[in-house]
Amino acid sequence: MLHALNGLVWGLITALIALGLSIIFGLLDIINVAHGELFMLGAVLAWYFLRYTDNFWLALVVVPVALALLGVIIERVVLRTIEEHAVRSIVATFGLGLILQESVRATFGATPQRIMPPIERTVTIFGFHYSVYRLFAAGVALAAILALFLYLHRTKFGTWMRAVRQDREMAVAMGIPAHLVFMATFGLGAGLAALGGVVATPITTVEFRIGLAVLPTTFIAVVIGGLGNLPGTAVAAVLLGEVEGIASAFVTPTTARVFSLLFMSAVLLIRPEGLFSRRAR
Amino acid sequence: MRPRVPGARWPWLVVLAGLALAPAVLPAYHLIFVAELACWGLFAVAFDLVFGYAGMLSFCQALFFGAGAYGVAYAIYFWNAGVWIAIALGVAAALALAVAVGFVAIRVSGHHFLITTIIVSVLVYLVLESGQWRWLTGGYSGRPFPTPVVDLGVARLSMQSEVVAYYFVVALALATFAGCVRLVRSPLGRAVACIRENELRARVVGFHVERARLAIFAAAGAVAGVSGALYSLLFRYTNLSFFEWTLSGKAVVWTVVGGAGTLVGPVLGTALYIVTAEVLSGYFRSFPIVFGILLIVMVIAAPRGVMGWLGGRGIR
Repeated sequence: MLHALNGLVWGLITALIALGLSIIFGLLDIINVAHGELFMLGAVLAWYFLRYTDNFWLALVVVPVALALLGVIIERVVLRTIEEHAVRSIVATFGLGLILQESVRATFGATPQRIMPPIERTVTIFGFHYSVYRLFAAGVALAAILALFLYLHRTKFGTWMRAVRQDREMAVAMGIPAHLVFMATFGLGAGLAALGGVVATPITTVEFRIGLAVLPTTFIAVVIGGLGNLPGTAVAAVLLGEVEGIASAFVTPTTARVFSLLFMSAVLLIRPEGLFSRRAR
Repeated sequence: MRPRVPGARWPWLVVLAGLALAPAVLPAYHLIFVAELACWGLFAVAFDLVFGYAGMLSFCQALFFGAGAYGVAYAIYFWNAGVWIAIALGVAAALALAVAVGFVAIRVSGHHFLITTIIVSVLVYLVLESGQWRWLTGGYSGRPFPTPVVDLGVARLSMQSEVVAYYFVVALALATFAGCVRLVRSPLGRAVACIRENELRARVVGFHVERARLAIFAAAGAVAGVSGALYSLLFRYTNLSFFEWTLSGKAVVWTVVGGAGTLVGPVLGTALYIVTAEVLSGYFRSFPIVFGILLIVMVIAAPRGVMGWLGGRGIR
């Protein structure tokens, strides 16, 4: 039960990162290899906030917004010229990842750090003591995911984003400022990854390598859920977390990882269009 | 596929002559560095075979590099095998792994192929890293093995000598490279290029798409295996990081920087990348920052890589 809860918390955080990756991938056709670094940067900045201002709530707001702005700048300066060119985007974002990683290594240092969660209480669920902070983290992630869907489906800009994704030329012909939408999308994706990082800070070790560690899982979630299928991506991420979480109750963490990856390969081979897509692509 | 450019032979002769005469001018340290570049260059070429020619974006090339390296180490450490047998075993291991991975991965295409190869990479790495496989891998940094001796039939030369190691590695890398050039001009090479351009049409024309894909994937795996085998012979060293997906990512970067679909490009890209990194690391403490900026500038300024600058006719 405890493991199922842990799986859920990590699954929701992964879902946040994966959704950011998915909207970038789906809209700009950019394979953002630096996406994990944005998550890592979020975690590191949140660590600094906790350490020096002791105000986690400030970090929860400021860090994602700041990194979303950084994302907008990155899109404008770096990615504008190579959008919709997947392989060159790998090289560009690889370079970006190097810059971000090394900046953090040079300032934050290479030693992994931990920090106490801002809420230290525990509650008793199903006879277990469980950290309130973890529940809170899951809540924030869930709220952000719901907010994203509301944003995409209920606001004008969100509708623009979906329109550009479906048919860019037609969208431009209808007067939608596609470039603005691209910048906003990358910013939004970066902000989501950063939020994931902030929320994860108190429950993980913070170091400059965590971005690389989280990247494969999120990519897998994006594809398992069905390319461009955002709810599918979110569900797949949670599912990945759950399979791993529950399996780790019985076997070693590594075996649990292997188990969840095997499960995912099976899904990929049986339903290449994604677990939750209705139509084949 | 590519019309033969007249007069394009002389750069080859210059390069060959340069490589052959290098031991006369270069100090031992630089010789080993050139041999190392040859290994990594060949590794990038292996990626270019699947990506540049067959259009399959593979993120698991490092697995085959690792298999080649560990195959060599295993053969020498446990059986005290000769160099040739060790290389054969390493390449066979890489080939077997590539056939197994390819058998699964070629069933899906496009982005799904990419993800499948990432999953397989992470999977194999996790399994090897976990404790149960220590008997095979010898822990994270592998097992040291004795200096290999190159048996040429007429003479037995120890790779203790840098010059021997240099000639051995560079010659084998060049031979494998020549094999790759032959391969992309062979019927198979043309078939996969055709499949890349238009899969449906290739199918209708009568190509066996899956078989051709598997064949090129396996061949590229074997080439990556050769590069891994040569690398481990050169440094008498293996490391689990050889299997990491980030190494596969580097092959992607090297190839794109050099120019995909050209075979020569990836070698140039690799050399440019590693030499630049080496030079920069002498000037800046945080050189990856400068390096990252250079990569971004490079990919924006030169869409077709170094080969694009040189007027080569890369495929994309």
